[in-house]
Amino acid sequence: MISISPRALATGSDPSLASKLDLNNLAPEQVALDINKLNLYYGKKQALNNITMSIPKGQVTAFIGPSGCGKSTLLRCINRMNDLVDDCHISGEINLHGNNIYNKHVDVAELRRKVGMVFQRPNPFPKTIYENVVYGLRIMGENNRRRLDDAAEKSLRSAALWNEVKDRLHESALGLSGGQQQRLVIARAIAIQPEVLLLDEPTSALDPISTLTIEELINDLKKQFTVVIVTHNMQQAARVSDQTAFMYMGDLIEYSDTNTLFTTPQKKKTEDYITGRYG
Amino acid sequence: MNKWFKSGSPWIWLSAGGVSISLISVLGLLWLIASRGLSYFWPSELYQFDLIDKHGAKSVVIGEIYNREEIPVSQLAHLNLVLDPEQEVLERLLIKTGNRELVSLDFRWLLSHYIQKTQTPKDLVSVERRTNGNFYGYIESVVVDGNEVDSNQLDKLLTRVDNFQDKIDELQKSDIGAINYQLERLRLKTRKYKFQDKLTAELKAQIDSEVATLNQSYIILEQELMGYRQAISRDHIVMRAMDGQLVTINFEYILKVTFNNQLSIVEKTAMFFSQIGYFLIEDPREANTEGGVFPAIFGTVLMVLLMTVIVSPLGVVAAIYLHEYAGKNAFTKLLRISVINLAGVPSIVYGVFGLGFFVYMVGGSLDQLFYSENLPSPTFGTPGVLWSSLTLAILTLPVVIVSTEEGLSRIPSEMRFGSLALGATKAETLWRIILPIASPAIMTGIILAIARAAGEVAPLMLVGVVKMAPNLPLDGNFPYLHLDRKFMHLGFHIYDVGFQSPNVEAARPLVFATALLLVTIIVTLNMTAVSIRNRLREKYKMLEH
Amino acid sequence: MDNLQIGRHISGQFNEDLERVINNVMHMGGLVEKQLSDALASVEQGNIDLAKQVLSNDYQVNNYEVRIDNECTRIIAKRQPAAGDLRLIMAIVKTISDLERIGDEAQKIAKVALESFSSSQQDLLVNLDNLGRRVLEFLQLSLDAFTRMDCDAAIKIHQMDEKINREYEALMRQLMTYMMEDPRSIPQVMTVIWSARALERIGDRCQNLCEYIIYFVKGKVVSHSTAEDIKNLEAK
Repeated sequence: MISISPRALATGSDPSLASKLDLNNLAPEQVALDINKLNLYYGKKQALNNITMSIPKGQVTAFIGPSGCGKSTLLRCINRMNDLVDDCHISGEINLHGNNIYNKHVDVAELRRKVGMVFQRPNPFPKTIYENVVYGLRIMGENNRRRLDDAAEKSLRSAALWNEVKDRLHESALGLSGGQQQRLVIARAIAIQPEVLLLDEPTSALDPISTLTIEELINDLKKQFTVVIVTHNMQQAARVSDQTAFMYMGDLIEYSDTNTLFTTPQKKKTEDYITGRYG
Repeated sequence: MNKWFKSGSPWIWLSAGGVSISLISVLGLLWLIASRGLSYFWPSELYQFDLIDKHGAKSVVIGEIYNREEIPVSQLAHLNLVLDPEQEVLERLLIKTGNRELVSLDFRWLLSHYIQKTQTPKDLVSVERRTNGNFYGYIESVVVDGNEVDSNQLDKLLTRVDNFQDKIDELQKSDIGAINYQLERLRLKTRKYKFQDKLTAELKAQIDSEVATLNQSYIILEQELMGYRQAISRDHIVMRAMDGQLVTINFEYILKVTFNNQLSIVEKTAMFFSQIGYFLIEDPREANTEGGVFPAIFGTVLMVLLMTVIVSPLGVVAAIYLHEYAGKNAFTKLLRISVINLAGVPSIVYGVFGLGFFVYMVGGSLDQLFYSENLPSPTFGTPGVLWSSLTLAILTLPVVIVSTEEGLSRIPSEMRFGSLALGATKAETLWRIILPIASPAIMTGIILAIARAAGEVAPLMLVGVVKMAPNLPLDGNFPYLHLDRKFMHLGFHIYDVGFQSPNVEAARPLVFATALLLVTIIVTLNMTAVSIRNRLREKYKMLEH
Repeated sequence: MDNLQIGRHISGQFNEDLERVINNVMHMGGLVEKQLSDALASVEQGNIDLAKQVLSNDYQVNNYEVRIDNECTRIIAKRQPAAGDLRLIMAIVKTISDLERIGDEAQKIAKVALESFSSSQQDLLVNLDNLGRRVLEFLQLSLDAFTRMDCDAAIKIHQMDEKINREYEALMRQLMTYMMEDPRSIPQVMTVIWSARALERIGDRCQNLCEYIIYFVKGKVVSHSTAEDIKNLEAK
């Protein structure tokens, strides 16, 4: 007699089923970010409509949607990058550890240390590779050479860049290739040990192979950080993310685990978008 | 033909032509200034012309040929010359005859028709003197302490005089100058105490004793000076001028004695370079028409550097405010437009502003507040190097602001965001990321500012430049940099020498030489700044994908 | 075709590719249907020529399977279909393999026609004919539902298999009786049993087709669900 039922065998061997979360009912310790009734206006134009979602901890959450759907805007809300935009105002809240980051007395610089961000185009500073990586630490006032060295090595290793640059740490970062620059930027972001890492189309300026390296890296990163990624590339979202949110015209249309969203989306708009149909 | 037009080649030719014309004019300008200016330093031949005028009277003229020109015979009809009828033009020479104490004019036109004989005697000498310009003639005798000696002693005697002269200069400039300066300060101190009613008997005694000490040492130095003076005035030479007169010239006044016609080409070249060196490091003499231009070089460079030091932070800070902090509203736009328009205001207007605002208002108030003991003679309430630098700084401020802002706006926003996303504040981002990346643009602004400032003369005439400044603005007396002093400027020097000197003809080569120097200095300042900028540019090369 | 919405892709090329595949599946379905009905007719009428024709036509069904399979592979490689498109391709890949099997089963039935039956045994074939008619109907309905991607119809006809199974069991019992009564007829009865079994299998495969339709429309794999669960799906 076979003691294990075939059903149990199936669930046990399928990691995608094991990690499936109920996104509507996450336990508080599973939540990294809790977005609640978020509205955002550029002047009089509303760019985000009443977004409510919970981003789970230690997972990769992808935002997809057509251009101008508000996905980047939403991402920038999470570390208050939208503060830099004139006449942009926000209602609703985003909770990090249960504290609304839009509270008046929140130190924005402090928040951005906890919520790091990587941008579309690699933007290393015109400094050495080493100085790029330790920039955030220097800003925080760290000047101990040993600690800086350690942090630089650790983050470069985490960003899978150490082996490529260890012999030229003190050369200009601008000499690196696009893919290396983007990994350097990621290393720079994780050097200050953020809790959440926001990636805004991190591979849109890179070639396919560099893109794969970054995707692989994202997969490693989620062991330490909560990753939120905006991407134009649906396949990329399908490949790297655990959760996917589809946005359209400032609305959050559908938010579910990636496997479900890419095989059996529940909303017609999602279906149309991911299968490439006219909306 | 139509096809040729369509191919676009006419435009290429047109634009290439434009470039060629600008290139030719720049090169032509440089060539003209360089050739005229440098010929000033080349030791020229000395000629002796035997003349006979139309009445048959004979005379001799000795000198350097300065210029030649051809004039049509028809213009000389009134002279009733006996000429070959075929001849249509006559040559006329401009001769520098020197010997200012003997003739009223040290320049003279000679019509070639009158010249019977031209020769270049080997023993003809030119004596460069401290006063009265050059003397041309023959050495009759050299007298040492009343006894005639052989003329080959000349070099040795000249060196001896030179040594004494150096000592005198040093004494006068540093030691005696320092004592005078301290005495002046003590006098002012006394006055100050007197004004404040704090002059106690004790203080007065102390100051008096200091004055006494200084006077004592002054007397000692003065005696030393007198000794040197006597020593150098011991010897003299006797020269025979072109009309046969004998002239005694004391060694005290002699700078150099040259047998121009005996010089080989190598010696001439060596002399050419030593003349240039002399021009660069010596003070001017005889109402600027002789000697060097060192104070003017120094003044120009110092003023430009001061201006740079003032304008750079000011312009950069203003640009940062306009670009980073000011709200993007109509007022900021208006501000920006005004700044750009400021660059178009004529420079003399800035001069007037500098005089009215800086010199009279600011300087006057400073005098009231801090230098009241010196009044009514002003300290800062009079044109000076500080006010000149400030005026030029205001003048060049728009340039720095505009180019810095340009540089700031060309920095990709990703750089900013990258830093901010790492938890840096706006100020930290500015200081650590934005400013370094914008530094090439800032340098460009500074280069443009320097180029403009170094060439400005008009406003400076109102706020600090003088024809002849007794002291450099930088010397060995505390506080070393004297911002209240007036200074000399190459641009003004050119104007002064070329148009205000008693002998315009004599000064013309000097004008070109000074112009060449001014161009060289501006180019040097610019090249330095350009090379710094290029190094920065290399370092902060933007990400170019 | 409404459920498919093939024509609405932004990429016209993709539309064409999908349409071609679906048309091929329709043709293949039509061919298989014809094969089955021909096979049944040949058995009924004892028409050996028709039976031979069925046997020789099977390669066409196989060709269709290979071609459609290749096209699906190409679409997956080039278009990376997602969601509905992906489910459609997956359903088609599975459907054609089932259709091919139905073709094979039809072949087996046609072989029965080649056997010689005594007149007393003819009523064996009458029973078979009844079952065959029912299975053919099931196949036609399934293909219809597939053409329309009609989930409700699929759920409804999914039930039909049970009836077929019951009929099959009745037939089996009948055939057993025959064999016991007349052991000499065993070889012929066995032939009939094989074809009955083939028909029962076709019924199962038609059920599979319905399941693929449900998978495509609802995104749920129902192969191992109970009839109750499938019924519930309809309600949703």
